[in-house]
Formats: sequence, C-alpha cells, structure tokens
Amino acid sequence: MKQNDEKGVPMSSTSICTNSQTGCHFLSLANLFDRVIHHSARMHGISNDLHSEFELYFLPSKNRVSRNCHTSTILTPNGKENAQRIAREELTEVILKLLLAWRDPLWHFHQNMARHHKFNNLSSNKSLEMSEMVHELRKGVQKVAEKMQMLGIISNSLGTLGSREALLASDSPEWRLMNDYNLLYCFRRDSNKIQNYLKILKCRIVPEHGC
Amino acid sequence: MRLEMSSNRQQRLCVAMMRNVGGVIVLSLLLVFVQLAAGESFSPPGTPKNIICRSPEKETFTCWWEPGSDGGLPTTYALYYRKENSDTVYECPDYKTAGKNSCFFNKNDTSIWVTYNITVVATNALGRAFSDPVEIDVVYIVMPNPPEEVTVTVIEDTNWPFLRVSWEPPEKADTRSGWITLIYELRIKLENEDEWEVHPAGQQKVFNIFSLRPDSTYHVQVRCKPDHGFWSEWSGTTFVKVPDYFPRERSMWILIAVFAAFIILTFTFIWLSYMKIHNLKHYVLPPVPGPKIKGFDKKALKNGKFEDIFSSLVVSDFPPTTSNYEDFIVENLEVFVPEEQELIMEDSKDLQDDSIKSENSTCDNDSGRGSCDSHTLLIDKGGGDKEEALQSDQEGSQDERVPTSPEEVMEEDLLACCDEKNSPDISEKVKFTPSLISPLPRYNLMNQPNPPEIGKKHCLSDSLLNPDSLPSYFTQPPSTKNDFRSNPWECNFNHKQHPLHPQTTGKEHLQVQNEISWVHVDRTEASLGVQAPSVRSTEYVEVQRVSGGNMVLLHPVSAGQENSGTMSHQTEHYSRVKTVNNDSGLLLLQKESTGEEMGICLSEEEVESRATSNGYTASITPTSEKPMVGINSTLPILDDRMASGYVDTATMFGLPTY
Repeated sequence: MKQNDEKGVPMSSTSICTNSQTGCHFLSLANLFDRVIHHSARMHGISNDLHSEFELYFLPSKNRVSRNCHTSTILTPNGKENAQRIAREELTEVILKLLLAWRDPLWHFHQNMARHHKFNNLSSNKSLEMSEMVHELRKGVQKVAEKMQMLGIISNSLGTLGSREALLASDSPEWRLMNDYNLLYCFRRDSNKIQNYLKILKCRIVPEHGC
Repeated sequence: MRLEMSSNRQQRLCVAMMRNVGGVIVLSLLLVFVQLAAGESFSPPGTPKNIICRSPEKETFTCWWEPGSDGGLPTTYALYYRKENSDTVYECPDYKTAGKNSCFFNKNDTSIWVTYNITVVATNALGRAFSDPVEIDVVYIVMPNPPEEVTVTVIEDTNWPFLRVSWEPPEKADTRSGWITLIYELRIKLENEDEWEVHPAGQQKVFNIFSLRPDSTYHVQVRCKPDHGFWSEWSGTTFVKVPDYFPRERSMWILIAVFAAFIILTFTFIWLSYMKIHNLKHYVLPPVPGPKIKGFDKKALKNGKFEDIFSSLVVSDFPPTTSNYEDFIVENLEVFVPEEQELIMEDSKDLQDDSIKSENSTCDNDSGRGSCDSHTLLIDKGGGDKEEALQSDQEGSQDERVPTSPEEVMEEDLLACCDEKNSPDISEKVKFTPSLISPLPRYNLMNQPNPPEIGKKHCLSDSLLNPDSLPSYFTQPPSTKNDFRSNPWECNFNHKQHPLHPQTTGKEHLQVQNEISWVHVDRTEASLGVQAPSVRSTEYVEVQRVSGGNMVLLHPVSAGQENSGTMSHQTEHYSRVKTVNNDSGLLLLQKESTGEEMGICLSEEEVESRATSNGYTASITPTSEKPMVGINSTLPILDDRMASGYVDTATMFGLPTY
C-alpha cells in the first residue's frame, strides 16, 4: 500500500537540494519546522495523557474556579483569524514566551510528583519528559527563529521584549499557587497553542512543504 | 286556591330547573376536574440534558441540548455561557441556525483555547430549569465534516489492477493554513459482505488498495479526524466495480513447474527402484578394482611368522624383505671341487658374458675372473641346509666353520655382484644369485646345470643395496683362464667353501660386516695356509654367506686349490666386487688367471670411489701365511701377484698386502 508517513519528516525534505542557496535554506527551514512541530505534538500528547490520568485518579473538586493559568498574561491569539493576522515575529515570540514560561513550573511539578509519589512510575517519567521537552522545544524554536531571521523572513525585533515578558510570567508566583490539576490543565492548553502556532507559522513561511 | 296550586307548580318547576342547572354545573365541574386529573400537568420545565457542543472547523461551534419536560406549558430554552475567568453571562447568539434546541456560536463569538461554561435554561410559565453546566474548550470538541470528493478509480496498468481512492478534506476545515491537521481513515468492503476493512491513511489524501477480487463491486468510505477531536462521519459510499481479469500469475506457473518436476522426480525414483539397484549401483559407482598387492595377511600376522607375512608382500622378482639375511643364502653354492669345477667351468662357459658367474673360489690365483661389473653385491638366497648351517654358524659367532659337505659348500652364499649379470654359471660354483634381492630357488649346488638357469643372478645395483646391506663380497673367481678375460665384467660370486675342499681344510672365514666394513677373516685352520699362499699370492675368499648382520662370511680359497687346474677354470669366473655403495664395502676380488690378463673390470677409479666411501669391506684374500687376517674397514688385501689382475685395494687403501 502506498503510504506516506506524513507524521514524520517528509522524505522529500531530506533530499540534497541543488537549487539556489535560498531554496536549500527553505528546505532546511521546512525540515526544522517539521521537527519542532513533531516535537511539540509529542509534548502535547504527554500533557494530555497526564491530564486525563490526573482527572481520573485525582478527581478534582468542583472547585476549579481558579482556572487561572499563569500564562494568561501572555497575549495569545485565540482564533484562526487572529493567528493569521498576527505578525510572524509576534507569533514566534508568543511561542517562545510560552515555552519559557513553562520551564520552571514543569520542573517543579515533576519534582513535586516524584517526591510525593503522587504518580506512578510511568506518569512520573512522563512528567519528567514533559519538563525536558519544553526545554528542548524552546531551543528548537529559537533555532527556527534564528534561521528565519537569517533568511530575512522575520525581522530582528525578536528577543528581548519577549523574554522579558516571559521572565515576568515565569517569575510570577502565580504558578506556585496552582494546584497540580490546574497546572496540568493549563499546560495542556498551552502546549496545544504552541503546536498550533508552529503549524500556522510553518504554513505561512514554507507553505509548499506539506501544508 | 288555584293560585295556590299554580304557585306550587311554579315552585316545583323552579326547583326542578334549579336542580338541573346545579346538576349541570356539578357535572361540568366534575368534568373539568376529571379532565384536569387525566391530562398534563403544568409544571415547571424539566432540566435540559445532554448538552453537546461540536465544532466542525475549530472556528465555530454549536451546542445542542436535550430538553426536559416542558411541564405542559410552553417552555423556552435559553443558553447562557460564561467565558473563562469572566463572570459575564452571555446568551446564545443564535438559536436558529443549528436547528431546534441548539445554539450556534459564530466565529466572532468563538474563542479558542478558552473555556466556555455553558448552561441551558428551560423556562415555562411555571418555572425554570437549569441544566448542568458544561465546560468546553473548542479545541477539544472539533468534529470535522466527512471528507469530500471521495473518488475511487481502478488502475489497470499492470496485470493486477488495484483501486486508488482519493478524497479531499472537508471544505470547512482549513488545513491549508495549518489551522487544523486532519488524519484520515477509509474502509472498504465487498458489496455482499457486512464487515468493513478499515485502513488508516494518516494525513495523505490518496490510498491504494490491492488484491482485488475480479468482477466484483466494492464500497468505499472515508472519514477524518483532527489531532485532538472526534471522528467525522463516514463519507457517502462510493461504489466501484472491479473488472474481470485473469490473474496470470507468474508464481502459479512456477508452482506448476515445481510440482511437475516433483512428480517427474518421484516417478524417476520409483522407476529406479524397480531397476536393479545392483545394476544401478554398478553404473553409478563402478566397483573399485581390488588391489593387486595382497598386502598383509592378517592370519599370518596372527601367527607371527614373518616369512609368511612378508611373503605376500614380496613380488616374486623383488628382493625379499626378510630381515633374515640368511634367507638370502645363495641358492647356488659354488662347490669347490676342482674336478668338478672344471667341468662346471666348462659348462659355465656357456654362460653369457654378462651373466654372473659364480665360481668357486678354488684358490685360483688366476681367478681373475672377477666380474667387474656389479658394484653391488648380491647375495643369493641360497637354499639348503648349508645355508642354514652356515647361518647358524655365522650368526653364532665368527668362528670358523667347516663346511661339511660339498653340498654345503654349494649352498654357501654367494654374493652376486653384477647388475646385469644373471644366472650363475656353474652350478657347482657357488652360484650367487642376488639373494638379497630376491629369493631364488635354491639349488643343489651339485647339480650345476641349473645354475645358469637360475641365473638370474641379479646383480644388485647400487640402488638395491642399502648401505647396510652387505656390500662386500668376496669373489673368487676360479674361472677358467679363458673366461677370465672373456668375462671381465662378469661378476662372479665365488664362494667356495674351502673347507670342503680338501685343500682347504681350514676355512677362513671372512666375515665381513658391511656396516662396519671390516672384514674379519678368521682362519679356522691353518691348513689353508700352506698352499694357498704359494699358489697364489692372492687368495680368494669365498663368501660363504652373508649373515643377517650384513656379514659376509668369507673363507679364502686356498692357494692349493688354486693350483689346481680348476683354478683355471675358475679363472674364467672371477668376481670382482664392486663396492655396492659408498657405505658398503668394496670387495674386489680378482682371480688372476695365470698368465692371462686380467682385466680389471673394475676400474680403479671405481674402486677408489668406492673405496673412499665409508666402510669398506675389504676383500680379503688371506694368504695362507697368515691364519688370521683381520681387515678393518679398509681393505682388501691383495696379493701383489694379484695386483695385476686384481684390484689392489690394499694399495689403494694402504693396507698391507699379504
């Protein structure tokens, strides 16, 4: 059966490009995008699993009012039009902010889980993997951003501003107040955002490679 | 009165009427109550249930609810929602678009990644009912529309047609911008079947299906799903008819061929089994020819008799491998009988030149008939008692022996020396047959005519003799003078038993040990002495036997013997010993015929060459003067007189000549 493994990196993108340098760069950029998208999809999957598990075993009280994710301070487009309307740099910045904002909370979450044995081993491994992935994904997206900047796709206005906001968000003690369930809920959503934004970004920048 | 009667009547009518009306009212009231009891009750509405919200493209969503009882009264439903972290209550903007009991949220009202808290309220005249709140996030309630434009085509490029199914994502779902990522799934079944065959297709929009049944109709359906969401409905069935084709399967032909080959092989085996296996085996595996050589006889091995054992190994012409050299006793012994010798010598004249003539060592001075040729010394395997007697004597010691009878003498070993010479000439003479090489029938030495026949004298070539073999031989060719020269190269084995000869009372036994190559001459008796030396300066030593230890037993031919005319006869045959090989002793004996020239068959060089080899058995011609002559590894002592006809080995080797 003819099948195309489209979940992974398309094979065509790995071919040696003999085009102009720009073409090659675009090819590799699409490749990079695919990788980070794949990475983010995996991260979201893990968070989804953890959330479901948490919901199953640790039945949260009805008192889930404070669904107040600490990343709510980060303005994110919450619609397709918004996401398409937003500039590439902003979108990239949003992604980076989100990833940065979740670095510490996930780490502490994992520590908390491991210390108190709230999860089984499998879930504990997932939490660890989740915290690591967010770290690596951020690096990956940074690479993508750098490449885009190098290619002139986005301006160089990226950087300091985003990180500052992100730092603010991460420094806010709000996330420490979140209970575990809320944290998982929030992260599940944010990982979905990241994945979606990356897809949008890719299809805006390199639409001819599998969009 | 009448009035009173009419009033009474009127009163009665009124009462009746009033009763009717009351009854009617009562009846009606009763009816009303009855009706009320049997029909719906008016109540507040029931709570709406099962609020389901779905979004087809993650941009809008619709919620449906299930109304509860309406309480018999017209009930209105309202949907209220609150957005995340906001207390503002909004009401459904659109109740119509999605149908009854639904609420449609358009794009403007839809926020992704925002939690909606939705509640449906039913209201009627009597009350309200609030449904349970439902929290949704649009991202997770996406259920796209089925894929569209599902087309199935039959591809018939090859012999094996297949189906190619292709489709398009639902129109509303925006996959191009990456907003939604859909994965697809298709299913197929034959028209008659009930079970579908489901194939996940990932994100691709084309799919091939193989292994179709010819001439049949298939049903194909496709559906899709976003990353995190719900499966769409199956698309409408697409019908496809697979044409009829003949599956010319190559592998089928191969299978048939293999099967046929198998059957053929089976029949072949059956046929072969009917054939005589014997014949077949002979055809395929011809019998290996048996060995010509008998090899070892196992029974003989068990018996432990060497003779038997090795007898099978020995080719008739081949020299025997017995270790017992005494078996090599020359069959023909040269009996030193002067008279007879002459006769014999006469006879021996007939011998061919190249025949080996053994002659009795009738102390013939002139018996230079040593044959020059063979450098090898052959010891015939003599037969007879003599040999054995000699053997026994010889083996025992190197003592003197006295041959008892001429027969014994005859049976003395002769050393054959010639390569090509064959056939001992004179039967009486010691015939030497190359007993070393091959066992020859023993002869009665007295019956001399045989010898020539025997004559296979094999002269041992050098190759035949190993160093250990006895190299030396003493030949005393008491040949006739005539023959002396005639057969210079004859190798003669002379050995005559001097003891037999009356003249030679004593025997000098020369024992030559090959390896040691010393010749020890024993003179048993001094009787020899008298004449022998006088007659000849050289005495011939007869090789009596060759012992197993490579010893050559020699006894000198007494000079007296030589004096006899037989010597002349014998001079005809003289043997020259050529060294068998380097290691073997060089034994040269020549009998110098009187007056006759004696050719030195053996060239001196040869002699020298041989002499230079290690160990020589000296040919000793002991003179009678000395009863004992011991010759060590060097050599033969030759009389000066003999020197002319003899190889003066002594001079060569520097030994004193006697």
